[in-house]
Amino acid sequence: MNAMAEKYEDRNIGSIFLYTHEAHPGENYPHLTSMAQKTRHAYDLQNLLGVSRPILLDALDGACHRAYGSMPNMTWIFNRAGIPVYKSDWSDANSVENALSYFLDVSERRKAKERLAPFRVERLDYRNQDKEAFYIGLMRSGQKAVDEFSKAFS
Amino acid sequence: MHDEKLLTQYNYDEFVPEKFMRWMRFAESPQLGERAPDFPLWYLDGSETLLSEIWSASLYTVVEFGSFT
Repeated sequence: MNAMAEKYEDRNIGSIFLYTHEAHPGENYPHLTSMAQKTRHAYDLQNLLGVSRPILLDALDGACHRAYGSMPNMTWIFNRAGIPVYKSDWSDANSVENALSYFLDVSERRKAKERLAPFRVERLDYRNQDKEAFYIGLMRSGQKAVDEFSKAFS
Repeated sequence: MHDEKLLTQYNYDEFVPEKFMRWMRFAESPQLGERAPDFPLWYLDGSETLLSEIWSASLYTVVEFGSFT
């Protein structure tokens, strides 16, 4: 997602990471109880995991996250008027880039004076599934996170 | 300022279905093509902004929701 953001930033595409709650609280990254703790975790996301996009914090009660469906790693794309044009219940750079390419083309067609009307479409996209990397990520939070995930889906 | 029960439920302390499944509400999320709800957000230096200030700054804005874990 970072590389995709950098690739499109000079085409007037903004990208942010919105910090929500700990999906897999563990010994190293327990559940959040304060904005100060949330800020520390977000700095670790930036410094240890290399998220280069601007990171913004949601309120401690997840007001924004909850209003948008509160999935653990979803992505939304908004136009300048605040209209969501894409939403995905999981984040995948290929899927997002595919959507951006389409919307940038729409902008070009509008500049060319094509008369366009919006319509809704549903589509099933596909992402890589790397269980090993996922469990390495869980382990960063702690053994508790690994054990709880394994138990929840056993 | 905050509902303590909501804070505790949203920031659940263990990943067990009875605590995390209640938040899987993607099907109830805002419709595409309709004005989206706006919320205050905070930069890491503590300064406050609005989601609407973020989306109005670019032709399109990608917002990834997530956390360290």
